[in-house]
Amino acid sequence: MKKIILLAILLSCAIGVSAQQKGELLIKNATVMTASGGTLQNRDILVRNGKIVQIGRDLKASADAQIFDGTGKFVTPGIIDAHSHAMMDAVNEFSFAVTSMARIRDVLDPTDISIYRALAGGVTAANLLHGSANPIGGQNSVVKFKWGHPIEDFLIADAPPGIKFAMGENVKRSNSQIQPGQTRRYPATRMGTVEVIRDAFVRARDYKQAWDDYRAKKTKVPPRRDLELEPLVEVLEGKRLVHAHGYRSDEHLNLLLIAKDFGFKVATLQHGLEAYKIAPEIAKSGTGVSIFADYWGYKIEAYDAIPYNAAILWKNGVVVSINSDSAERIRRLNIDAAKMMKYGGVPEEEALKMITLNPAKQLGIDKRTGSIEVGKDADIVIWSAHPFSVYAHPEVTMIEGEVFFDRQKDVAMRDQLEKEREALEKAEANLPPEKRGKSEKPKENPSPNGGLQ
Amino acid sequence: MIKKILNNLCLSLFICGSLFISAFAQNGGTQQNLTGRDGAFAITNARIVTVSGDTIENGTIIIRNGKIEAVGANIRAGGGVETIDGKGLTVYPGMIDAATNMGLIEIGGGAAGTVDVAETGNMNSNAKAITGINPNTSHINVTRVNGTTTVLSLPVSGLVSGQSAIINLNGATQSEMAVVPVFGLIVNFPRVTTFEFAPGVGRRAIEYSQAVKQRDKNVEDLKKIFDEAALYAKTREAYAADKSLPHKDIDLKMEAMIPYLKGEKPVIFTADRERDIRGALKFADELKLKAIILGGAEAWKAADDLKKYNVPVIYTNMWSMPLGQDADYDSMYAGPGKMKAAGVKFAIASGDDGANARDLPYQAGMSAAYGLSKEDALKAVTIYPAEILGISDKMGSIETGKVANIVVTDGDLLDARTNIKYLFINGRLLPLTSRHTELYEAFKNRK
Amino acid sequence: MKNKFLRICAALAALIVAALPLSAQFRPDTFAITNAKIVTVSGKTIEKGTIVVRNGLIESVGENDKVPADAKIIDGSGMTVYPGFFDTNTSLAIPASTPRPGGQQGAQAQSSNSNYPEGLQPEKRTFDELKANEQAFEAQRNTGITSALTVGNDGIFNGQSAVINLSGDSVSAMVVRSPFAQHITFTTLRGGQYPTSLMGTFSAMRQMFLDTLRHIELKKMYAANPRGMQRPPADASLEALIPVVTGAMPIVFNANTEREIIRSLDLAKEFKLNAMIAGGFEAWKVAERLKAQNVPVLLSLNFPERTTAEAKDADPETLETLRLRVEVPKNAARLKAAGVKFAFQSGGLKNLSKDFIGNIAKAVNAGLSKEDAVRAASLGAAEILGVNDRLGSVEEGKIANLFAVRGDIFDKDKQILHIFVDGNHFENKEKPKSEIKPGGTAPAGTFAQIGGSWNVAIDIPGSPITATYNFIQQGGTFTGTMQTQFGTTNITDGKVTANGFSFAATVEFAGQTFDVFVNGTKVGDRIEGTITSPQGPVTFTGTKNP
Repeated sequence: MKKIILLAILLSCAIGVSAQQKGELLIKNATVMTASGGTLQNRDILVRNGKIVQIGRDLKASADAQIFDGTGKFVTPGIIDAHSHAMMDAVNEFSFAVTSMARIRDVLDPTDISIYRALAGGVTAANLLHGSANPIGGQNSVVKFKWGHPIEDFLIADAPPGIKFAMGENVKRSNSQIQPGQTRRYPATRMGTVEVIRDAFVRARDYKQAWDDYRAKKTKVPPRRDLELEPLVEVLEGKRLVHAHGYRSDEHLNLLLIAKDFGFKVATLQHGLEAYKIAPEIAKSGTGVSIFADYWGYKIEAYDAIPYNAAILWKNGVVVSINSDSAERIRRLNIDAAKMMKYGGVPEEEALKMITLNPAKQLGIDKRTGSIEVGKDADIVIWSAHPFSVYAHPEVTMIEGEVFFDRQKDVAMRDQLEKEREALEKAEANLPPEKRGKSEKPKENPSPNGGLQ
Repeated sequence: MIKKILNNLCLSLFICGSLFISAFAQNGGTQQNLTGRDGAFAITNARIVTVSGDTIENGTIIIRNGKIEAVGANIRAGGGVETIDGKGLTVYPGMIDAATNMGLIEIGGGAAGTVDVAETGNMNSNAKAITGINPNTSHINVTRVNGTTTVLSLPVSGLVSGQSAIINLNGATQSEMAVVPVFGLIVNFPRVTTFEFAPGVGRRAIEYSQAVKQRDKNVEDLKKIFDEAALYAKTREAYAADKSLPHKDIDLKMEAMIPYLKGEKPVIFTADRERDIRGALKFADELKLKAIILGGAEAWKAADDLKKYNVPVIYTNMWSMPLGQDADYDSMYAGPGKMKAAGVKFAIASGDDGANARDLPYQAGMSAAYGLSKEDALKAVTIYPAEILGISDKMGSIETGKVANIVVTDGDLLDARTNIKYLFINGRLLPLTSRHTELYEAFKNRK
Repeated sequence: MKNKFLRICAALAALIVAALPLSAQFRPDTFAITNAKIVTVSGKTIEKGTIVVRNGLIESVGENDKVPADAKIIDGSGMTVYPGFFDTNTSLAIPASTPRPGGQQGAQAQSSNSNYPEGLQPEKRTFDELKANEQAFEAQRNTGITSALTVGNDGIFNGQSAVINLSGDSVSAMVVRSPFAQHITFTTLRGGQYPTSLMGTFSAMRQMFLDTLRHIELKKMYAANPRGMQRPPADASLEALIPVVTGAMPIVFNANTEREIIRSLDLAKEFKLNAMIAGGFEAWKVAERLKAQNVPVLLSLNFPERTTAEAKDADPETLETLRLRVEVPKNAARLKAAGVKFAFQSGGLKNLSKDFIGNIAKAVNAGLSKEDAVRAASLGAAEILGVNDRLGSVEEGKIANLFAVRGDIFDKDKQILHIFVDGNHFENKEKPKSEIKPGGTAPAGTFAQIGGSWNVAIDIPGSPITATYNFIQQGGTFTGTMQTQFGTTNITDGKVTANGFSFAATVEFAGQTFDVFVNGTKVGDRIEGTITSPQGPVTFTGTKNP
């Protein structure tokens, strides 16, 4: 019976690369773009138990180590997407203006094929965000794309929790269809949006006070635990990162003002397509910005977006990341980073950082990932050519030393999957109804002690 | 492209929340379309990628009166010619994007007043893109400064969407821009649609046999349009030959169909799935239409029919998601390589509404990371589309006598890191400015 | 006119004849099944023995038991007696809820004694909604199902279920245990009301569990000393959740996919709930956790099968779909091997009589022992439902829920001949062997499945009308009603073919009666066809009422 279960498990992750390397792994003689310490030629990287343990020349690995020949190839840290909605069974909780109680964690789908396709584009980690339908949206999840693993393995345990905020057109819902009998949800203006957020933090402060009083035994009755306000208290306490969707520069400033008033920091402005207009103010606030490389013009508030956004922000000292917000675009963030060299002359390593180390910083996971450094997680991509070249593709994507995408194996697997399909299509339950029931024979119980006789 | 528009809608509706309608803001007050200056130019000491012939490692190209006057390794620039030192630079023919909605849509979400891409109704053969194109759209400059000099701009919607236009990305008026003002008839070949969106239910499957029935009915409707047009053409001709016959009133929609019925101009069928491509090819063959397939996600699977009928494909799916969760992750990237291997004639196009059509070179380049040769990737956005659009005598390569649509770069044209240094359209040297560079200049030094 | 009068007379006569046996028949209360093989499940199988049923209970069971003189004797030679089976997740005996105008269920619909919206009201009790209708359970009984867990399926909190026996003319006679469990469906509320997303659904439930825990605490405080303390609000929803958060009442999560099951298990862990999984198609993938958390599974027997006809050029089905269909029948054996408790449920099977036992047989073919299969359907289910002290096996003193089958329960040509529910005897006429076609009891497989209620649009030129067809199918024949704005008439001469059906009916219209003949085909999950009347034919199309 164990065999059956094992077989079934193998079957269930047929697309994935099931090699489980928790031992040693050695990448030899590659061009290593570290994203933190320059580009190193002809270098080896030794990985042990999921961590990078050595970077150098002529490194030795144990006999059973997995070896990757990196000759002529490029190695980068795994790409990190600071704005994704991959593997989510729900995106928006539309109902209220404040839905901080909603948690992406509750609706993760580890079987979403877009995970694998992102891996095939060199992405190893992502910030999975609630949608932007609410001034204060739901709680995010920061994950690594451990395709084929159980969902709990995806979550980066020590990533600080976060929450989605949003400003502008989506929040106002000014053009959404109102069903008969429904009233328009407040807020319908940018004025109202600001007040919703202020009101929520006023309530969160009072809520915290109520608990403090109770804990100090000033009150007798325990306050009601409020799942809406708890995450906002965490924001006030600096324990939860705010990722704030917005487009127009004025609304970014509005939020930064609120944050200042309530004493918290905004971790990232998401999209921030007009952030370049207020780069000095953003730099001063210490807030990061996570943007599209050059996607623009799809709505009014995206009309002033320019591809030089990243360059201006970078020159002002802002930590910038390039995100996808899309299951399609996430597959080619390396090209988006490359564009940043062209639009405004961002240096190569800085451009690489925008899809690796910078998003890691913004998500508070840069201690463990985002660059190729000894002691960090072995979240690594091996590219066929320079990752900024349009002619390059990822050959191997690994997370913590475990290979989750291997182009050669993917190609080799295609025939096998076709054969599996053919076999499955012949199974009784998969026959079209008109062909079913013709070959069915009562089969004797295979278990010797089964049956009632 | 409808798909891109839908993607945008999806992005704003489902991911982000909602749309915002407003009729304001078209150009934001900046001058978008500086039409450059005419003159005689010589680019010397440059690497010249002619596309049609060998690459000249160190050569000269002379541009005069809008044309390429001379090109070669040993050309001497005569007097009265402005010389550009091309040392370290590479000269390419301008890229041709064979599928865009350039000029027909400024802002897809929340600004309906700027959207002229989708006429109402099923049958709009008389609608001409050239009449809806805004020569001052900000998209034109944004696109051309990345090296695309000519595009096909096309309407969407309905069964027969209208007629596309081939335009150069320069000119103060439609006629200044027009290369072929009325080029191909856009027909959205009826698809087998195996799902629908039902109110309160969401996406749900349609039984395949049912979907085929609906498709067949739609194809019948389309056939009827062509049959009626044929009859109309016949009666018009008869009347022209014999005025004693009763007068036949002119019908603009029917009138517009005539050159397509006669095979004088191409009918561009949008079709992505193999079954739909084969269906369109059969349809075109039966009616003796000159067909082009637009979309072509699974065109490589229908290679036999495409070759049999000698029909080319304008491939707009480089950056589309694979069809279905079991499709190979690289199936869309690999499409051009597979078409090439199968001997299908094709071009790579952005399929973009215009704002992001500037990504065309990178889309083409990626096809070379997944099976196509780099040379073919470049051809797929230069000479191949020129051939498919019937303008290869004028464009698509660097040859003496061709229109001087020229791009001078500091690197590989298809590489995302490459900068464009000089840009010529119709021999006019254009400033490398756009809405984006203007905003950049305005804000880059703000303290 | 005369004709009509005669017809009415005939119809009335038929009604009277049909009604008579119910009112006038003597219903014996003591039975003895003799010479039968008895699968007791709880103990050894008796190769040849006697079961005595009296006043609803099993009076005795054994090899040499005496037959009471007042018993009606059923000769069980050649038959096998099993304890009645359980269908562990149904909405049996609960009238379908009426949809609200505008589909705005939930919006502003707060009951006065709850602070939570409809859909998040766990206080709903199946017990209050049950309607007794013994005849309605015939299909279940003829499948060997004598007990069911039943609960409505509206909202996120579906309400509190009940275990019922499938006989009896009153609710009080049917109910075995109420309430049994709280049931959850991972759905959203409508009309834009929170929660509109699955995320919100979890948050809303979580908030209510927290509110309940606080409610318990406040009540305790208030009971100890009400002075100087605001009294806790009396809230029916929170009251109903108290036994759930204390673990006294099980909570059943409708969950089929691996991730739905894991989400359920996570929530159960978070609040220390006494959880069960209903559906559980992919339960085997989570077997270890189910075992570790001691969570039983009410396995759906509505195994996924391809429903679309073969068609060239159709999109291939996904590997995920193809794999699932092959894996689901193996589920039970894998759960058994992993030590996870499970029982079976029909899961909305369309063809209960063929597929309930038929799909258990598939699980047996996939490695589950017959013994374990029968146990899961009877005593195993009773244990999960907490009624194994009175149901689930053939034992002295237990409720007389059992059935006798000609042949083995998993035989293709088995015939369930006698069914006892609460000691009430139901009998099926035995068909001669020759009538049973090879390939199963169920020539039904070769007939279109048309049973149920259909929403029909009749295209009368100029004035289309709607109708409801209610079909009760018995293999190749069916009975039922045709309901229009002009009234309800009984269907006669209902015949089913492989892909269609026909019936006759008499319709009263504008003071006149018409004989109509209806000929239909089933296309996918729709029906279409013509209605021929003296006025000529009209067409109709119909969709199944869910």
